[in-house]
Amino acid sequence: MSLQLSAFLTLLVLSLAVPIILFLLLRASLTDLLRHTLKVQAGVTFYLRSFLLILFLSSLSAAIGTSFCLKPDSRFMEYVWKGAEGVSSTLEKTLWFVAVYLVLITILVATLKIKDDK
Amino acid sequence: MTNERYLIASYFAGAALSAGLGTIVYLFLRRPFGGVADAASGKRLSPVLKRLLPWGLLFPALLGFVSVSYEGCNRHTYKEIVQDRGYLVEKNQEQISSVLLYILVAVVFWDVIVFLILKYAQDCRNEPQLPQVDD
Repeated sequence: MSLQLSAFLTLLVLSLAVPIILFLLLRASLTDLLRHTLKVQAGVTFYLRSFLLILFLSSLSAAIGTSFCLKPDSRFMEYVWKGAEGVSSTLEKTLWFVAVYLVLITILVATLKIKDDK
Repeated sequence: MTNERYLIASYFAGAALSAGLGTIVYLFLRRPFGGVADAASGKRLSPVLKRLLPWGLLFPALLGFVSVSYEGCNRHTYKEIVQDRGYLVEKNQEQISSVLLYILVAVVFWDVIVFLILKYAQDCRNEPQLPQVDD
């Protein structure tokens, strides 16, 4: 296996691991929060699935967009640096979209829950 | 396989992949979205929303695919584009990345729509209670 391909596959595995870990960490509390806020059960499922999609799509979009097109005589560390660049862009994109999702969920909870609590 | 053949094959495979990804995301969200639309919106609004969802995911996927241009800073002619396989692979990666990003933005957009539907439903539920409070 060429160094280029193995670097790309490593980045791909890392970019799949990040959303899986984040989703497993947040799933239970997010489900609780949504169940407490939404009266429609389908809404809870919809927002959970869209959270999963947001995590995977943002992460994979950044990872696949990273090009390992280096010179043929490139050294091992040059591939590592390129991989680190890919990880950086993966985490950055994931962070931004999770932030957008978080803002949306906060607005959802603030708007829908206050009236129900009354 | 020559670079030109690779370009043709990868372009159409990429287009099919983008349509496939849009469809997969639609199938993944279809049932819960239908549930929300049925439960929370009126009888007239629900079918409209359910019919719009597939197009609201498929179009962004295709838009993401076609938004990537093969012309670059040093590559303006067809010959210049086709001569380097690495450049073609890089463009394919860019296309897939763009497809995923556009679908992602579409998912966020539908999240907002679902929020508005739920808000509308809540307002409708709270409306008949207002006169009782005044009494």
